[in-house]
Amino acid sequence: MSNFTIPVGPLHVALEEPMYFRIDVHGETVNNVTINAGHVHRGIEYLITKRNVFQNVVLTERICSLCSNSHPQAYSMAIEQIAGIKVPPRAEYLRAIADEIKRVASHLFNVGVLAHLVGFESLFMHVMEVRERMQDVKESIFGNRMDIGANTIGGVRYDIDPERIGYLRAQLDALVPDVEEIIDLYHTDNSILRRTRGIGVLSHADALDCGVVGPVARAAGVNYDVRVKAPYAAYDRLEVPVHVLHDGDVWSRAMIRLMEARTAIDLIRQCLDALPDGPTVATAERPAIPPGEAIAKCEAPRGELIYYVRMTDSPKPERVKWRVPSFLNWDALGIMLKQAKVSDIAIIVNSIDPCISCTER
Amino acid sequence: MSIMPNDIEARLLEAAPAGIQYRATTDDKSVVTAWCTLSSADNLLPVGRRLKDMGARLSTITVFQPKAPPAPPKPKEGDPPPPPVTFFGGIVSDGKGYEIHYHFDIDGDTLTVTAHVGTGGSIDSLTPLYRAADWPEREAMELYSLVVRNHPNPQRLFIDSGIEGAVFERLIPYSTLVNSAASKSIWEKIMAQTGAPS
Repeated sequence: MSNFTIPVGPLHVALEEPMYFRIDVHGETVNNVTINAGHVHRGIEYLITKRNVFQNVVLTERICSLCSNSHPQAYSMAIEQIAGIKVPPRAEYLRAIADEIKRVASHLFNVGVLAHLVGFESLFMHVMEVRERMQDVKESIFGNRMDIGANTIGGVRYDIDPERIGYLRAQLDALVPDVEEIIDLYHTDNSILRRTRGIGVLSHADALDCGVVGPVARAAGVNYDVRVKAPYAAYDRLEVPVHVLHDGDVWSRAMIRLMEARTAIDLIRQCLDALPDGPTVATAERPAIPPGEAIAKCEAPRGELIYYVRMTDSPKPERVKWRVPSFLNWDALGIMLKQAKVSDIAIIVNSIDPCISCTER
Repeated sequence: MSIMPNDIEARLLEAAPAGIQYRATTDDKSVVTAWCTLSSADNLLPVGRRLKDMGARLSTITVFQPKAPPAPPKPKEGDPPPPPVTFFGGIVSDGKGYEIHYHFDIDGDTLTVTAHVGTGGSIDSLTPLYRAADWPEREAMELYSLVVRNHPNPQRLFIDSGIEGAVFERLIPYSTLVNSAASKSIWEKIMAQTGAPS
């Protein structure tokens, strides 16, 4: 058997966004992977220091579309810490609702794409159709299907009245049997199992060594979820089960996402049950932001998202740095792809739910 | 509930004998955010080792050049010039030095270890200790002139090797930023290299 180098990307049918992989193979087996990034580097970390604190809420939402709610949320949390702003309880619950709605849609999207890569097109279309219900929810409640504009400094920019609560509950009720059916299918269907069990394994030790986060970590036995370990918004008042599996393969990562989508529905219901009355934002005025620095973390669909913000006496931040979950998970991809078959490359890459716009900023 | 050890300050000081400044806050959800500034950047590796032993995870690294403080009023004739403003540890705050934050996660709590490096300075790589430092250090090296010593793979990460480094330290004209995509100059560049079609 001969050795070859296969270029995958930067523009490739199996990649949602541009990334270039140089894959050295021996016959059909992957020997080594070199990742060449930077194709959608937009210099947003520079741009953010040229806009004022409030404009940046809008800018951070545009870093990525699938976790677009997590960026302005973590950014706002950091600014609120610096300014000593206390977010009203109703806004904390509404933030958690927005977070979980995005999580359901994001996880179902990834699991749907897995079915597509496995070649199970009817399942792909079914999962995307089920996910469409959450897209409708976003459009009805927030007025947008991806960038939902839910967050502002000091609270949220949306509210839900009893009529919309009723609509949301009805959508969730309709979604539950569909999601449970999909979970059952991914548990038992041989087309899925044959292509995902034992594929792209990341061991527990490697997961800790790479410092991976989110479903990639939890599928390898790492019990870490920001919503539990460092609660924010209303999560300290919610029952948040953390799903952990131990095989670290593609299937485990998909199952973690499916179970978390199911849990997210319960979390939205918990929020609706306990939603307190009161204002949705700390102050109607734009608050003055004093000099200072802060760290904020939240659990984006792909895992821990961390923001560092430094303010001086200017209305523009001196530095904003954020690290998205995918940024750490790329490194683990090299381990997952070692000794993999060429035909599994796309499935393994998709299994870390990579977000390239987020990674490169 | 916080799991940050009570004696964390003493442990850090033991690993950084040159001195530290330490502060910590706990929010109303009991999450601890701690900040530790090193007097000497040379103490970074021992501190990193100590935190690794405690099971800390490196979340990310922030590098930036803090703005210089406003110039002091001119001294009266005969008076000595005022001493330069410095960071903790003595590095002069001239707007060109680097402030480097290493954000560690200790099971939900965050500890940020800060080191200062002067213009043209360098700092040890944490990558041999923490794999998660690899990409952030490579990114820091392409955004700034900062040198990271003993990095196992000091290649460019996002910025193409054909582009001059330290992109955060200089103004880049828009036409350069977009690779002349907004004008005909890229076409002229290609034609100059390959020749016009016959």
